[in-house]
Amino acid sequence: MNSVEGLLTQIRGLSSTASDVLSLQNVLKQADESLHAESTRLLPFLDQLDPSKHSLGYLYFLEACTAGPVTTESASSFVLIIARFISSCVAEQIRLAPDKFISVCKRFKDQVLSLEEPLRGVAPMLTAVRKLQSSTEHLTTLHPEFLLLCLLAKCYKTGLSILEEDIFEVDQPRDLYLYCYYGGMICIGQKCFRKALELLHNVVTAPMSTINAIAVEAYKKYILVSLIHHGQLSTSLPKYASGVAQRNLKSLCLSYMELANSYNNGKIADLETYVQANMEKFGSDNNLGLVKQVVSSIYKRNIQRLTQTYLTLSLQDIANTVQLNSPKEAEMHVLQMIQDGEIYATINQKDGMVRFLEDPELYKTCEMIEHIDLSILRLMTLSKKLTAMDELISCDPLYLGKAGRERQRFDFDDFDSVPQRFNI
Amino acid sequence: MASSSSSGLTFKLHPLVIVNISDHYTRVKSQLNLPPSLTSTSSAATSNNNNNNSNGGENNQQKPPRVYGCVIGVQRGRTVEIFNSFELIYDPSTRSLDRSFLEKKQELYKKVFPHFYVLGWYSTGSDAQESDMHFHKALMDINESPLYVLLNPAINPAQKDLPVTIYESELHVIDGVPQLIFVRSSYTIETVEAERISVDHVAHLKPSGGSAATQLAAQLTGIHSAIKMLNSRIRVVHQYLVGMQKGDIPCESSLLRQVSSLLRRLPAIESEKFQDDFLMEYNDTLLITYLAMFTNCSSTMNELVDKFNTAYDRHSRRGGRTAFI
Repeated sequence: MNSVEGLLTQIRGLSSTASDVLSLQNVLKQADESLHAESTRLLPFLDQLDPSKHSLGYLYFLEACTAGPVTTESASSFVLIIARFISSCVAEQIRLAPDKFISVCKRFKDQVLSLEEPLRGVAPMLTAVRKLQSSTEHLTTLHPEFLLLCLLAKCYKTGLSILEEDIFEVDQPRDLYLYCYYGGMICIGQKCFRKALELLHNVVTAPMSTINAIAVEAYKKYILVSLIHHGQLSTSLPKYASGVAQRNLKSLCLSYMELANSYNNGKIADLETYVQANMEKFGSDNNLGLVKQVVSSIYKRNIQRLTQTYLTLSLQDIANTVQLNSPKEAEMHVLQMIQDGEIYATINQKDGMVRFLEDPELYKTCEMIEHIDLSILRLMTLSKKLTAMDELISCDPLYLGKAGRERQRFDFDDFDSVPQRFNI
Repeated sequence: MASSSSSGLTFKLHPLVIVNISDHYTRVKSQLNLPPSLTSTSSAATSNNNNNNSNGGENNQQKPPRVYGCVIGVQRGRTVEIFNSFELIYDPSTRSLDRSFLEKKQELYKKVFPHFYVLGWYSTGSDAQESDMHFHKALMDINESPLYVLLNPAINPAQKDLPVTIYESELHVIDGVPQLIFVRSSYTIETVEAERISVDHVAHLKPSGGSAATQLAAQLTGIHSAIKMLNSRIRVVHQYLVGMQKGDIPCESSLLRQVSSLLRRLPAIESEKFQDDFLMEYNDTLLITYLAMFTNCSSTMNELVDKFNTAYDRHSRRGGRTAFI
């Protein structure tokens, strides 16, 4: 007890300036073990500390408190305490002990989920993410936790706000896979298929040394979303996908590849029979909703193909070609597509004719100028980052070793290999 | 020798003249660039000052040669406009001017430019000298009051103005003796559209002769600096107006009138069709820049991916380049 009291006074004394906080951190690291030993009795001491001033000390105490098993009654009180802590803590102090903060937040998430109230956790977790990340381009371990809470609480819009930011730095590869996978699911929920495709693509092409389950699930969803959004699936992965993924992913998602094949043939009846046959497989992957959307999107795809052949067409003809039941249904589909901006057409209701038009965007407006200007600026920053990375990797000894081995040898001098190490 | 001219004439100098003089001088100087072992040069236009003749052969290159020629143009009322120039053969040591050459040249130029006549002469050097007066007097039988255009070929990077001065001759009474002395006059540079193209061309050619890419970059840099200067001037005027509004600077109606007349000249064109075309062209240029940036980015990304694959992919394809002997 004395040690705890002594620790408390030290925390209160040393939390004012940055150098004090650093020395406090050393003290706390040494006292960590003793804190964990007394984890059950630490709860009342928390009231003596102020989370907004003594964030680091409070964090250590909190982490020790929550280390042990938690009962459901104490869970809700813990949830309140942690939520209050997250909203009032000081970001600089927390960043000194990021792993402790992450473990506290993870336990927070577990408790919230055990209470079956994920909505309570969304806002505090968002604050936690913002306080932990050193810049908006930094992906922390808390990002996927936050997205998971959003998914379970079904508040997709909050999740979308985080997904808008470009990520350049990642702490752990597993964070990236989970983040992009959950992010893809959120976007599918919001029907932003373009962004979902982008995120799922990131998972599938991320560097990985062995195949992992997240990538396999992501690839299944990727196939489905690609069919919905683009109407086709590119069969080969791009060259920046890891070799592991290129070799193994397709064989692990065979039924989905079959689905894509029958989609490409364009015959709706075949597609539907195939889906019926594999219903439970899709269901076990929780992809049934997506598969149904794929089936309904095949009508859209066929109508879009019509725009490339015909200038005007009657509703009856559309219904026949696309294998819809009646011209009324065809009209509904075409109307929906015009509203979504997927085709440009006018429907003449008097004689039931549809006229397909060109893209009316003339690229003459000031808004377009601003849009292009912004895109150019973004490209410029991206280009700078890419050149910096290119230079970094050119100096990487691993790259130099392999590149040196494979270069062409035209002269006897070229047979000297690139030095792997400089022995001075 | 230099004080301001009081003749009230305004001089307008065309850039062609300056280019001609500089070209003449450079040509002669580079033809003279002989190794020190050769003793004398034979070009008629060389001259060393009488003082330096004693240095003899070894020091040919120390004193830069002086070149001489005639300037021609038009005089309308009080405005003298100097359009063109040609070279003359003159030996200052003997002070002999090749008259027949001069007359032949005059005739030739008269055929092409009937309105032009000899307005004066030019030379190079740092300042007008006593010996120049002889040449000046020699020309006085062609033109009663010739001009003397002097180009200073020394390259001074700190200097902002052109190293060209125009002198007139005036009769002044000095020590009771009427003497002709040179007085400096001010001038302005005047260009015709056709001249502007060649001046632009000369100004933008880099010494290395660059490929099309550097020329384009040089031209765009020129436009960029022009726009930057315009921007800074407008800022100055703006600050001045703000100061006047706040009351820090006393109001000056004449300046205000000038600013207002300038502003009333804009916008130069205002119509819907112009807006349309302007926005479309603007968008086109932006799109092309966007495309260029895209290509640039994609190629960097491609290289990065290749390097990454070589470095980190365990089973990347071996190039299959075996030893070549």
